Amino acid sequence: MTFLPYVAASYTLGVVVPAGFALAAWRRMRGASARLAAIDPRRARRAAAADARSQAEDRP
Amino acid sequence: MTRKRRRLYLLLACAVGVGSASALALSAFQSSLTFFVTPTQIAQKDPPPGQVLRLGGLVQQGSVRHVMDGTEPEALFRVTDGKSSVMVDYVGVLPDLFREGQGIVAIGSIRPNGTFRASEVLAKHDSDYMPKEVVAALKKSGHWNPAAGQPPPAATWWDKSKFKPVDAMRQAAGTGRTGG
Amino acid sequence: MTVDATASLAPPRRNLHRFANPGRFLRLAGVVLPYLAIGGLVLTTIGLVWGMFFSPADWQQGDAVRIMYVHVPAAWLASAGYAGIAACSVASLVWRHPLADLAAQEIGPVGAGFTAVCLITGSLWGKPMWGAWWVWDARLTSVLVLFFLYLGHIALIRAFDNPERGYRAGAILALVGAVDLPIIKFSVDWWHTLHQGNTFSLTGAPHMYISMLWPLLFTTLGYSLVFAAIVTARLRAAVMERRIRALLLARVDERGVAERVAA
Repeated sequence: MTFLPYVAASYTLGVVVPAGFALAAWRRMRGASARLAAIDPRRARRAAAADARSQAEDRP
Repeated sequence: MTRKRRRLYLLLACAVGVGSASALALSAFQSSLTFFVTPTQIAQKDPPPGQVLRLGGLVQQGSVRHVMDGTEPEALFRVTDGKSSVMVDYVGVLPDLFREGQGIVAIGSIRPNGTFRASEVLAKHDSDYMPKEVVAALKKSGHWNPAAGQPPPAATWWDKSKFKPVDAMRQAAGTGRTGG
Repeated sequence: MTVDATASLAPPRRNLHRFANPGRFLRLAGVVLPYLAIGGLVLTTIGLVWGMFFSPADWQQGDAVRIMYVHVPAAWLASAGYAGIAACSVASLVWRHPLADLAAQEIGPVGAGFTAVCLITGSLWGKPMWGAWWVWDARLTSVLVLFFLYLGHIALIRAFDNPERGYRAGAILALVGAVDLPIIKFSVDWWHTLHQGNTFSLTGAPHMYISMLWPLLFTTLGYSLVFAAIVTARLRAAVMERRIRALLLARVDERGVAERVAA
């Protein structure tokens, strides 16, 4: 293949840059959702409600 | 008038202002925004010898001669835009795309005798993308000679109703592959 | 303004603000994101492999034409991303749409990244074909200006202690800079450039043989979905981060009130 170094460099760039952005965005999203889950009162309430419901189901 | 609507109109007014200001600025700098001048423009303006110019056009068919300038290869050719042409000479390695009929940009200056001395030659490829086989087939069938000019208009490559290349083109590609 | 004019303005406002609800956005984005990401990954991979190994070499450019399968989508997304920022800026300035500010802020770095890919792959294409890494023609220069506009927007929107002022300043810069988009598009028609003219137009047939057009369509669509997925994920993270800040601030406020009551 002629001009292989130029083509290979372009393809590398076209893979590495979007992959880097995607990975960073994914990690940021995961971190934010974990931190939010730890302090979110709404989610805590929902979890407590689910807890109560499962306990109610456990009772005969 | 609501506040939202007022903000929208204000924004549109600003857009018109910024747009027309840019249009004026761009048309004022027209000559410096253009990357190269054509042989016709050189013939009209007659720039002073020694002034560095970028000359753009097609390499005229049948005009290319290679000679030796001492130990270095020298290329002599005419650059044309269809109306007028300029003789160019260049010592050095030409880009891969250089050939007769190819668009090029030569950087250099006019000599007093009217020929153009290039210190650098850049190749300009056009916006038509085709496999080699198709071009070979078109050449063989006499539809198009790449050295002589532009490819046949793109509309003829396509059968609009089917969004596929027209049959003649596909057949040309087919014969090109079996033939070569 | 007449009554019916305000009436005609009311529905779009309600529509726009339907998506302004952060909870609804998070749910919707959570549903859409996997499709965008997987679709983008699949289409881009098919297009890149097709372009590298199965599409023909060009009659004049040989194998260097394969750079196109990265360069053209990057160039398209550089412009489309900036157009997206400009659209968000209008929504921000006119309707004070709260998600538009965050969207403009999150598109910026991604668009700048794709613009850099466009510029560098263009350079890698220019050296073997033209014989120069870079020339100051109108197309290349206007795309470089776009890159600097992105950098300016990224810096300006984050430059203020009060985020609202940053959003306002960023939106104004984005809208003034949007004048560069038609200049990029038409630079090859308005001026003599070393860069080629447009291969694609809205009205005419594409100046590209079909065996090269297909992989290009795949990578263009694929990269567009990847771009959308990245922006959606960043925006999702930004919405959650804003909610975290709000919750923590509320907590600090509560504590302050409690201390004052105790004192």
